[in-house]
Amino acid sequence: MKSLHAVSRAIDRTTALLGRSVSWLILVAVLVSAGNAAIRKAFDISSNAWLELQWYLYGAAFMLAAAYTLQRNEHVRIDILTQTLSKRTRDWIDLFGHVFLLSPFVFLMAYLSWPFFLQSYRVGEMSSNAGGLILWPAKGLVFAGFAVLCAQAISEIIKRVLVLTGKTTDETPEHELPPIIEDMEEVEALHRAPRREDGRAR
Amino acid sequence: MIDLIAHNLAPIMFVSVMAMLLLGYPVAFTLASGGLLFFVIGVEVAHFAPEQINLFWPLLQANPERVFGVMSSETLLAIPFFTFMGIILERSRMAEDLLDTIGQLFGPIRGGLAFAAVVVGALLAATTGVVAASVIAMGLISLPIMMRYGYDSRVATGTIAAAGSLAQVIPPSLVLIVMADQLGRSVGDMYVGAIVPGLLLVALYCLYVFVITMVRPKAVPALPAEARTLGGGIVSLVVILAVSAAIYIAAYNFVFDQMRYETRVVSAATLATIVAYGFSLANRRFKLGLLSRLAEQVVIVLIPPLALIFLVLGTIFLGIATPTEGGAMGATGALALAFVKRRLSLKTLRQALDSTTKLSSFVMFILIGARVFGLTFYGVNGNVWIEDLLLSLPGGEYGFLIVVTIIIFILGCFLDFFEIAFILVPLLAPVAQKLGIDLIWFGIILGLNLQASFLTPPFGFALFYLRSIAPSSEWFDEVSGRKLPAVRTMEIYRGAIPFIAIQVLMIGIVIVFPRIVTHYKDVGPAVSPSEIRIEAPNFGSGGGPNFGADNNGAGAGPNFGTNDDGGSSAGPNFGTPTTPDTGAPAAPNFGAPATPDSGSGGGGAEGDATGGPNFNTGQ
Repeated sequence: MKSLHAVSRAIDRTTALLGRSVSWLILVAVLVSAGNAAIRKAFDISSNAWLELQWYLYGAAFMLAAAYTLQRNEHVRIDILTQTLSKRTRDWIDLFGHVFLLSPFVFLMAYLSWPFFLQSYRVGEMSSNAGGLILWPAKGLVFAGFAVLCAQAISEIIKRVLVLTGKTTDETPEHELPPIIEDMEEVEALHRAPRREDGRAR
Repeated sequence: MIDLIAHNLAPIMFVSVMAMLLLGYPVAFTLASGGLLFFVIGVEVAHFAPEQINLFWPLLQANPERVFGVMSSETLLAIPFFTFMGIILERSRMAEDLLDTIGQLFGPIRGGLAFAAVVVGALLAATTGVVAASVIAMGLISLPIMMRYGYDSRVATGTIAAAGSLAQVIPPSLVLIVMADQLGRSVGDMYVGAIVPGLLLVALYCLYVFVITMVRPKAVPALPAEARTLGGGIVSLVVILAVSAAIYIAAYNFVFDQMRYETRVVSAATLATIVAYGFSLANRRFKLGLLSRLAEQVVIVLIPPLALIFLVLGTIFLGIATPTEGGAMGATGALALAFVKRRLSLKTLRQALDSTTKLSSFVMFILIGARVFGLTFYGVNGNVWIEDLLLSLPGGEYGFLIVVTIIIFILGCFLDFFEIAFILVPLLAPVAQKLGIDLIWFGIILGLNLQASFLTPPFGFALFYLRSIAPSSEWFDEVSGRKLPAVRTMEIYRGAIPFIAIQVLMIGIVIVFPRIVTHYKDVGPAVSPSEIRIEAPNFGSGGGPNFGADNNGAGAGPNFGTNDDGGSSAGPNFGTPTTPDTGAPAAPNFGAPATPDSGSGGGGAEGDATGGPNFNTGQ
């Protein structure tokens, strides 16, 4: 059990580090995109490579951060029926989901996207747009994203089993509000804490 | 028995997967696995109903290609850009400054704070496409002030929630981007089409507040004199606005008259703005006393949002940038604003990027899940089933629109708009098209619907956000030195009802008077990805003149020809994983990979743009 826990922690640390790192690619994409438009207008220069770079960056960010998003429990759910259930029942549902809904999908996709990538890599596939980028690294991202998700799925299953058997405390965050709101509120709270007195923990 | 299942696999699949979603497991993975489960079932029972089920094992290999198609969509890049912009703007506290000042400007009249909330809501909506940010800002700033000065809490919360949700329909809304992407139309057209309905909605909100001031003046009192910290001075505000308008007209007609139209407008507007801004700043710095404090403050706080609106919408409408690039420019502008206001730290930036990435990831994975689901659903002729179902509705075009409105309205009470857009819209679009409904018009109607869903109890997101920040127990107000009552959840719900009614009215208006949307056809299309992309000779999906003829947003255009994943008719997004024309190699057995930008837009978007001027089919 101890070793399982260690495996799960190692996976979580890796995917979190990966997810946080690739989030910077969004900033790069923003700057590339804005710069691209400005330069095109100002100097009448346009390049497919720069256009393609934008979705490359975005693709890398959201594919590689999917596991981190899963770890932070931020993939959106329809929980109108289940939110009233006990924590334990929801843990069982999550375990069931991880095993029967998440795993088949991500493992199959990883399995399918490897040859998809390999084929592209062998022929050194380029974008069909003039002056475009090489294409196989982007296809490699599909595989990489699902591979990381496979690892995360294993970690999530381990965590759920350990929680259900009482071997560990649950560290997966629960979200009462959409996480993006929670993040915004967090910062608001810093500025406004003294002005509020409605007794809520902030 | 198996025979029966095989012949009705589409409805069985649809209902089962929707039921699976209610388990409360993440939507993206449930959809995908539901799709895969029924893929296996479908292949196994295919020989019982060969004319309906078109599934076979190698088809599974289309999935990586479909994920890649989602990844390589340029339009969807707008999601992280606008989200990031929204978060950074929230940090920059532009909304707070606006609310404080506009509240002071309108405060002295009855219902002034409510008018201010609507106006600021509209301004914020035109700056960014994210609802959460504006509702939170208004809930934190306006709500306590409204409560302090005796506003009815229902009117206060309703106005704030509704004004905040304006970001859903006023360009550059994320809903419209996603809708355009799913309908296979250009985002630029969608924006042009949304302007009039969006402004009308703002007008209706104001009208409602006005009616309240007449009928129940006690519910919306004016600010008392001691709360008017900026004092009066409307005259100098009017004067400075008039002067800048005059500068604009003069510059447009005399100074920049040699320039092309777009640069002319921009240069003249920039000049007028800089003069007004510079004058206000000088007045403040050197205490010239030429302007009232009110006028000075109003001009100064209005500059950032106006500049951002120009950066985003201006560049899009003037054809300088694509909607995606507009989002990037807006995000850059927001970063600059936050930096200048010293509200940008490394920690803030890191957290904003972290939130943006996680949001993008879950949104994109819902789309990926929907496409995996779609592969099977189209394979079992699910689209035909849905089409037959909806085409059999009485009342033709209007019957369809009304039923769809009701369905989306109900689902909107429970589902997130991304789920509706990615799961339902691709199924509805081909039907709408068959009925000869203009897809932009259809998209705007759906957008208004989804906006209403933000306001419907119990799961309307705007209400939800507001609930999270409104005081839930008695609170002590330092300014007035009094204890003020809590805002009860029921009050928030009841306050939303009149605005839901306005929303329904607005949907009705758009359905009855399609011209307020379809005038987009009279305007030249804004720049689109395909125009700025350097076309390779063999690049297949660029529509060409043929696109103009058949109002074809759904990707079944001439160059798309057959759809190689199972022969069903080409839905905008679910059904067309690949475009056959591009020559690159592919997964075994499977056509060619999608071209980078034909991905999830299904190619229709480019068709619109290239076919732009010729594009004049009506209903």
